[in-house]
Amino acid sequence: MLDTPILQVENLSKFFPVQRGLLRRTVGHVKAVNDVSFTVNKGECVGLVGESGCGKTTVARCLLRLVEPDQGRILLHGEQQTFDIASASRKEMLDVRRQMQIIFQDPFSSLDPRWRVTDVVAEPLIAQKVGRSEAARRVLDILPTVGLGAHFADRFPHELSGGERQRVSIARALVVSPPLVVADEPVSALDVSVRSQIINLLLDLQSQMNLTYVFIAHDLSIVKHISHRIAVMYLGRLVELGTTQQVFEECKHPYTKALLASVLIPDPTHREQSFVLEGEVPSPLNPPSGCHFSTRCPFAQEQCSAEEPDLRDMGGGHWVRCHFAEELDLSEEIFAPQFDTLPASP
Amino acid sequence: MPDSQPILEVLDLHVHFKMLAGVVRAVDGVDFTVERGRCLGIVGESGCGKSVTARSILRLLPSSETTGQILYHPNGSDQPIDLVSLDAKGDAIRAIRGKDIAMIFQEPMTSLTPVYTIGEQIMESIRQHQDLSEEEARDLAISMLNKVGIPDAERRLGDYPHQMSGGMRQRVMIAIALCCEPRVLIADEPTTALDVTIQAQILRLIRSLQQDLDMSVIMITHDLAVIAQLADFVIVMYLGQMAEKAPVVELFQDPKHPYTQALLRSIVRPDTPPREQLHSISGSVPDPRNAPSGCRFRNRCPSVHDRCVEDPPVVEFGPQHTATCWLYVDD
Repeated sequence: MLDTPILQVENLSKFFPVQRGLLRRTVGHVKAVNDVSFTVNKGECVGLVGESGCGKTTVARCLLRLVEPDQGRILLHGEQQTFDIASASRKEMLDVRRQMQIIFQDPFSSLDPRWRVTDVVAEPLIAQKVGRSEAARRVLDILPTVGLGAHFADRFPHELSGGERQRVSIARALVVSPPLVVADEPVSALDVSVRSQIINLLLDLQSQMNLTYVFIAHDLSIVKHISHRIAVMYLGRLVELGTTQQVFEECKHPYTKALLASVLIPDPTHREQSFVLEGEVPSPLNPPSGCHFSTRCPFAQEQCSAEEPDLRDMGGGHWVRCHFAEELDLSEEIFAPQFDTLPASP
Repeated sequence: MPDSQPILEVLDLHVHFKMLAGVVRAVDGVDFTVERGRCLGIVGESGCGKSVTARSILRLLPSSETTGQILYHPNGSDQPIDLVSLDAKGDAIRAIRGKDIAMIFQEPMTSLTPVYTIGEQIMESIRQHQDLSEEEARDLAISMLNKVGIPDAERRLGDYPHQMSGGMRQRVMIAIALCCEPRVLIADEPTTALDVTIQAQILRLIRSLQQDLDMSVIMITHDLAVIAQLADFVIVMYLGQMAEKAPVVELFQDPKHPYTQALLRSIVRPDTPPREQLHSISGSVPDPRNAPSGCRFRNRCPSVHDRCVEDPPVVEFGPQHTATCWLYVDD
């Protein structure tokens, strides 16, 4: 089951022009997404991680044509036919959206404050030309699935808590029974005690409805928990792609290592951070030459700033964009602890 | 005994806001002590009163009704000052605010004014509290920016906040907070708006400055991992009340309050089996205006009992470990 592709992204690029001056001349491009390719198989969850500005949200928006991709193909294998989302017509997009929906990050701004829950959830159905009464029936069917009682249907968003609002967003995405759901940071705006409820709900729904997820988040421990495979992005480029095991336990890109090392461990008896990355993400308007990570990489050599590495297959579906992926030893011990040993607690 | 020297004592603090819809008891009976050179962590979810507690220390909530005591022990004086009794707009609190006790806010995007350069903003704080010439203040500002890890500090003084990234702005905030060498630094969710690699840098910076300057830190966060990494002593808050108070290792290894236990179980740890259901707390945090009577956690608590409608007692588990819960009291 895990080997039938449902979504194939091939060489996807999105460059936003930067315009200056009175004549709005284009002075450069922000390469938000640069030649990104990955495949999502049926029934799996692919996590997309990276820091702000790495292009993960732009990828999500391209997948649904909420922004127009500049290059590349996005093949969606539907039940009857295959669509190329990047070049689909308006009419085809209607079919695409029945197969693929999105859950947004912020449940406070993604719901119209003047709409009742039932109207919010019915909107995709109305867009799909489903009749009003049929739509109302399907809304009442979907609400219990996301853990909301029927009495929520007539409420307004301001009457709901953050977790309830996010359940409404999930209901809105699932009401057209799409096989594929893109979730853009679905839990990062929620309270800690509610976050685990929503993660459990997403896991439940996935097995009940046989869903496929593209899960975008910056919280690595959550991505690790929910994903089968993980793609790591840096400055618009995919730098590492592999199974959760490969990315977390056997990572080969120094950036992935740095990301993993900056995850804080919720255990006061483990207070050492082995590898704290210096500096900040450079401007995507002027990414460093060669390997984009070379300016922050502790292993950078001359070749790294001269020549951009390709995404290379390390075997077993593990892809890494680094000249020295085979040679680098990214095991814990080689980094000197930089986080000073802390005084014992009183 | 320089090790356990109290610098700030908060005793039975209540902060209430009068609203049209009723009184919001944002903070309801909080006690803690901040010791010299130590980090106190205050953890809780939205609406638990952690930020209100922090702001009331600096008297930044003039429209609230604050009762209780906040005793500040100034350097070289035996006589503590009760900050609650000071005029919130008077000179006495102004001399302490920003000089002895400084604060970093959550949002580095909105807590700097966009119309002044960062140099002007740092120097304003310096010259408010120290009798320095403009030249000297400028030199101090440059050295502070260097200390917080801003490269090319001299040129950066002329930058406006919009020319800097979020991590850089948070460093500027820290530089402003630290330029008068405060004895207490209050950090209200200092890394929530930042990326993980930058969060690691900022927390490392706060920790090393704390050690270098022998400064006390009050770290306010919703993130238990930040608490685990930085705090020496922790207060867990829920809807304005203290649920549990304990040294950090004890809190993580032997939590007593059902809320603390549930919070600790609900977070994803490195050893959590992948794709398994997480423990979760049912329901969500109620509106503080309709907080339940008695124990405020009772309608979400897995061990709820008839007695919980009455105010729960404070139960001691060790010299510094207490939980406010009926669970440990026999009938």
